[in-house]
Amino acid sequence: MATRDFPIVGDSLVLGYRFQRHWDNSMATAFFFGELGAGLFLIGALYGSLISMIFGVSITAILKTYFHMAHMGVPGRAWRAMIRPDRSWISRGFISIVVFTGAALLNILLNGFGLAETLGGGAVVSAIAWLMKVLSIMAALFVMTYHGFAIADSSSISFWNTGLMPVSSVAYSALSGVVLALSLDPAATAAGTFLLPSAHGAALILLVVTTIVLLAMINAANRGSPGARKSVRLLLKDGPYAAWFFGIVMAVGLLLPFVLLVLSEPNRLVYLVTAAAILAGYFSFRVLVFKIGLYDPIISFAPET
Amino acid sequence: MARMGMVFDIRRCIGCNACVVGCKQENSLPDGVFFTRTLSEDYGVYPNAGRVYIPTLCNHCEDAPCEKVCPSGATYTREDGIVMVDDNKCIGCNSCAVACPYDQRTALGKDLFEKGLFGEGELTAFEEQGYTRFTPGTVTKCDFCSERVDAGLDPACVVTCPTDARIFGDLDDPESKPAKLIKERGGRPPMPEKNTKPKVYYVT
Repeated sequence: MATRDFPIVGDSLVLGYRFQRHWDNSMATAFFFGELGAGLFLIGALYGSLISMIFGVSITAILKTYFHMAHMGVPGRAWRAMIRPDRSWISRGFISIVVFTGAALLNILLNGFGLAETLGGGAVVSAIAWLMKVLSIMAALFVMTYHGFAIADSSSISFWNTGLMPVSSVAYSALSGVVLALSLDPAATAAGTFLLPSAHGAALILLVVTTIVLLAMINAANRGSPGARKSVRLLLKDGPYAAWFFGIVMAVGLLLPFVLLVLSEPNRLVYLVTAAAILAGYFSFRVLVFKIGLYDPIISFAPET
Repeated sequence: MARMGMVFDIRRCIGCNACVVGCKQENSLPDGVFFTRTLSEDYGVYPNAGRVYIPTLCNHCEDAPCEKVCPSGATYTREDGIVMVDDNKCIGCNSCAVACPYDQRTALGKDLFEKGLFGEGELTAFEEQGYTRFTPGTVTKCDFCSERVDAGLDPACVVTCPTDARIFGDLDDPESKPAKLIKERGGRPPMPEKNTKPKVYYVT
């Protein structure tokens, strides 16, 4: 661990902190769409919004896959990404996306479009329909979480290496899912069930939870290693990222939606604006997390002073 | 079985970058791709200022995080401890590059093999013969010049170093030069807090 205050040195041949540039905007976008789609599907399944479920699985299956392929150096070998689930979060994620897409589509067909009833609704068909419902929800939950684990698994970048990263993934995923579901299908999501609050109420709760998780993550990093502190400084004080973080992630992405949801009369326009604001903040957060990732200086030989 | 590793003698390194050039030549590395770099560290304040040079390369960790996160099984460790990348299996996801605490992985963008070293779109004869060893889109790194090691030779950077600042050999052999140096002069691995068990050490 570095004890001196080293500078950020970019690609220069000087000892210091280096930006990670291996996971770029296309990877951040893939993660964003993966979490957004899974969150939307889950909220759709919980509140009975078929359109949200369809959009959710489509976003994950199409947009996430597209941006992963855009990032990948040899996309023709993408299938190989699934062969190491014993140790790689990318492998686990790949498998979960395949399971999620398959189970979600079958769930939509059998339960959403009533194919199970059309097929006679026998015991076997009903069992398969129930299984697909449970499996798609579990897979959606896994997809919502695994991105955070894939990022946090990297001990090389101190800011990422925190248990709060997967928590932030789930919180943001559920939040963006619920506000998008409110925009797409306000009628279906208006009322809660005996276990769930209304989607409007859930959005407010998730907004508060996400804000707390975000602040806790930054606070933990600021009290952590020098590399993590350097990343926090980039996020909050230095350079172009601070304006981006405070302006888009915090003000537009969290504060504005909270004000809109609390003060405005609930209607579709408010939900659309809220969803757009939260998604802008969420996407910015995903990109910024990759942009502020720093490698620590490898070893110092400066004499102790 | 041997456990191949390297020792950097910081006292001897003069920052001439001959190792970097030797490595690029041996491995036909495209523009901007380095398997080894020599970093400098300045310290103190004039007139009591100084500079040290810190050579870096893949540390061929025993508990390699790059191997652990590789989803396609492309990264593997040979019996002699050299961490390799099978570019027939690599998908270019860059997970290994993100996981390596030493930032020693490089993605081979397709454009690297098109523009050439002189950026004019034409490859020199040197590039044409050398680039066939790479698969565009994959991720690459130092392999201790494994072909040379198999032939009983030292890596190119080691034989190029004019000051013998790089010492290569079997770390498990107590009579080998690197093992003796580590023992006698207290070799330090880079970033021991990352628990990767590097097979590269620094002595001062």
